[in-house]
Amino acid sequence: MYRTWAIARAVVADAIRRRIVWVVALFSLVLAAAIPSLPSYGVGVEGAVYREIALALIYVAMIVLALVLSVTRIPGEVERRTVYPVLARDVSRWQYVVGTWLGIALTLLAAAVAFGLIVFGVGWVVYDAPMFQLWQGVLAIWMEAAVVAAFCVAVSTMTLPAVVAVAALAFLFIAHVRADLLGGPGHPLWYAYPSLDAFNIIAPVAHGSGVDALYLGVMTLVFLGWAGALLVLGSAAFSRKDL
Amino acid sequence: MSTAEVHVPAAEGAHAAIRIRGAAKRYGGPRGFAAVSDVSLVVAPGTIHGLLGPNGAGKTTTLKMLLGLVRPTAGEFEILGEPAGPAVRARLGFLPEQPYFSPLLTALEVLLLAGRLSGVPDAAVRERSPGLLAHVGLEGRGNTRLAKYSRGMLQRIGIAQALVAAPEVVVLDEPASGLDPVGQRDIRNLMLSLAAEGTTVLLSSHQLSEVEAVCDEVTILNRGTVAAEGSIDDLLNVAGRTSIRARGAATALPADVQSLMEDVAVSGNVWVFAVPDSAVRAVVDSLDDGGWAIESVVPKRSSLEEYFATLLDDEALREVSA
Repeated sequence: MYRTWAIARAVVADAIRRRIVWVVALFSLVLAAAIPSLPSYGVGVEGAVYREIALALIYVAMIVLALVLSVTRIPGEVERRTVYPVLARDVSRWQYVVGTWLGIALTLLAAAVAFGLIVFGVGWVVYDAPMFQLWQGVLAIWMEAAVVAAFCVAVSTMTLPAVVAVAALAFLFIAHVRADLLGGPGHPLWYAYPSLDAFNIIAPVAHGSGVDALYLGVMTLVFLGWAGALLVLGSAAFSRKDL
Repeated sequence: MSTAEVHVPAAEGAHAAIRIRGAAKRYGGPRGFAAVSDVSLVVAPGTIHGLLGPNGAGKTTTLKMLLGLVRPTAGEFEILGEPAGPAVRARLGFLPEQPYFSPLLTALEVLLLAGRLSGVPDAAVRERSPGLLAHVGLEGRGNTRLAKYSRGMLQRIGIAQALVAAPEVVVLDEPASGLDPVGQRDIRNLMLSLAAEGTTVLLSSHQLSEVEAVCDEVTILNRGTVAAEGSIDDLLNVAGRTSIRARGAATALPADVQSLMEDVAVSGNVWVFAVPDSAVRAVVDSLDDGGWAIESVVPKRSSLEEYFATLLDDEALREVSA
């Protein structure tokens, strides 16, 4: 675990110095802060609209960041040979894959917390009430972004960055159309279909009081299952790769 | 691969820092391209062992198989008496050819990462890094991001990260690449000091003068197999010939010497030539009688360049005749 953590720390140190990360983060933060200046809505729903737009904005920013950080990470390290001094030591391939993802996930977590603080602070100041349920939405978005990063890391051990990016977008689309395709939980394929719907809690967070603790627990299990399965797949593929 | 096909070095000993037996790597299945067909080598502890060969000979692939970067098609790989897995690689340092590190990290961060991956505590790396950086010519550059490093400086930080865990074995792939002559000299001195401290060095290099200057033993690869191996002296000394270096005012050597000498080189009034071992006494006496100053009498030795070229020419001829 020590070596996995060491790789994760190096990934974080590298990622937070990338200019593109700061550009995406600053652009999103400015937009989040500007949400209250949008045209006013009906009395009583401003808060809900604010939360919905804020979470949608954070979602887009987090997915972009996840793609930026993970699509080229491993292919780039292999191409530039930066991976050689790492794997020529007491480091297994799976430790490298998991450490890389962990570093990306931690960077995404830092970005999610920053986004969360801004929208929570702005919401509190403008609407004069703390919107604690926003943090549930931020958590769910971070989990989905981290799953997308795990997908990119896993697939990038096998193919080129451009293919990874396209595959990641296809993965996002496929994993969010279960209800449209299968019509609902009654369909036989419903539970076998790969879905990220568990992380979509924007509606209860924006228009209600959020989700309960049980749902958060299940969501966490889904997150661990997705990330774990993808990282096992990526580690297996990377362990067979000649560098 | 059958046992009979495996080439095993004659000098194989019980205790080896690195041992490779019958290494082979074929890309693209049984009918694919064989990057390495049959390579075996033994590196004795505390020595500097050169791995030579033209481009495509299989040097880097052999090193990558040893280090777990490429999956071998066949062969056994040992480091310090243990199968070459991740655990024993904690005792090994590696400098890849043309090393590259994230330009967003500082030199100190690269060393800290290398230390963590080898199980060295951060405090020990921080304590060791100033001396290590000074040792490779990067004194005071620890907090500089690698984006500001030149090609030669990247090579030096590559060497520093290979040494940060005080490894027992160091594998260097073209360590002088990208360095100026002073840097190349520094690297040679560094390798010699490592060997003097008991560290084993496996050096893969195109620079024959570098190999000749520092290596105790060499293995020469060509087309994925071992073309020659042995000590530098055994490979380069020309059997039955002695090299004589003499200085004199005369424009020509004595006639009896001229009839015996070969490989003559003249610079000003200094003559260097080879004669048969059996004629050394007579030639020295003749030069002495003629008033020549004899500067050296040593076994005739070809340069590694000459040996290398001859070896590859012979291999090409054998292939044509076959």
